[in-house]
Amino acid sequence: MSNMGRQIEIGPTDNTSNERTPRSRLHLIPEAARASFAPYAPYNYGIAPSESDMTRIAAGRPRAQGDPIKVTGKLMDQFGRPIRNSLIEMWNANKHGRYTHIEDHSGLPLDPNFLGIGRTLSDDEGNYEFWTIRPGEYLARPDIGRYRPKHIHMSIRGGSSRMITQMYFAGDPHNDTDPMRILMGDNFDKNIGQEFATPDEGFDCGYKFDIVIGGKNPTFFETT
Amino acid sequence: MAQPETKSNLLTATNEDTLGPYYPISLCDNDSMDLTVIRSGIIHKPVGEKITITGCVKDINGQLANGCLLEFWQANANGIYRTPDNETHELLDPWFNGYARHRTKDGNFTLTTIKPGACGERAPNITLTLFSDGIMRVVTQLFFEDEPSNETDALLLSIPEELRERLMIKKTGSGDYNIEIIMAGDNETPFFDDLLS
Ligand SMILES: [Fe+3]
Repeated sequence: MSNMGRQIEIGPTDNTSNERTPRSRLHLIPEAARASFAPYAPYNYGIAPSESDMTRIAAGRPRAQGDPIKVTGKLMDQFGRPIRNSLIEMWNANKHGRYTHIEDHSGLPLDPNFLGIGRTLSDDEGNYEFWTIRPGEYLARPDIGRYRPKHIHMSIRGGSSRMITQMYFAGDPHNDTDPMRILMGDNFDKNIGQEFATPDEGFDCGYKFDIVIGGKNPTFFETT
Repeated sequence: MAQPETKSNLLTATNEDTLGPYYPISLCDNDSMDLTVIRSGIIHKPVGEKITITGCVKDINGQLANGCLLEFWQANANGIYRTPDNETHELLDPWFNGYARHRTKDGNFTLTTIKPGACGERAPNITLTLFSDGIMRVVTQLFFEDEPSNETDALLLSIPEELRERLMIKKTGSGDYNIEIIMAGDNETPFFDDLLS
């Protein structure tokens, strides 16, 4: 019976990948059970416009330390069709590589003006935009001296789509040794934000990061 | 269904990535883990048997897996899912959404919900999506032991018999249930993959 799916690979040198990666191949979902696997998150988001400006704790407050950047792009399916009104959540470390998360015990400097958490909805064309601070790299494995390259976490949900991903930066010296980058192989390019000059005052630059929902992992079932 | 990549004009999908250890807890705006209350302070309650499921997520060493993001999805007591197609269904329960999202700090969780009904030919079940540091998303469905419809459920029948009991939520008392999710190794929980992958 050929009802086995993918074998998930273990991210080398990742802190927990070896402990948490299933050793059995995934089981393919029979057709009769497919629809039941696609959740619909209730639409009750009350999002303030200022939540997409992560360079300040709140509107009118001082700017956080570091380089302010734009992160913008289009959320779409594999046919290039826009995915509208989806909740996009973003979180990243401050310029020193420190998260405001209570479980970040790195001891790196905090910035009182940086929360590092934002959210927005994609618009009618599937476009989204965040302002944040370019994150610092951080030492993820002090025991072996391995850094995580600069990266920005993102979660996308809406309808049946559900994905967690990360945007990386071209040329980061730590990219090549990152366990997730190694698992992605050549497809890692899809997860690099494309730098562009922004005429807006007060921004170092922008990064275009289009997100395509589809393929093996990111979405279980598109219902269109 | 799978087509050779080279013949496809489809855009290449963005890679999924791990959750990392620092998923912001404050993003869990539905982090009540009580599906029986979708509006606080209202006398109406969902139809069905209220149950409490305690559980935990463990790694290959039997240690609790900290920092996991859990998403639960289930039908109401009548077996109806709250999807857009069902918005006007007469058996849709206006007091039940069926979707919960929770970040467990230490690997333990407690879900208060309504026991789901059978949806069509399917045995009552709860879909669990699990995000964690170190892995990309995995998904499974959890069933209730002693449900006769388990014998004919398409998903349960699709996996080897000896694996089925690992998906069973065990009854531990009146209205109380328990399940252990084992991410890797001995007694590993069966996880599922999209048919189209
Ligand atoms: Fe991170």
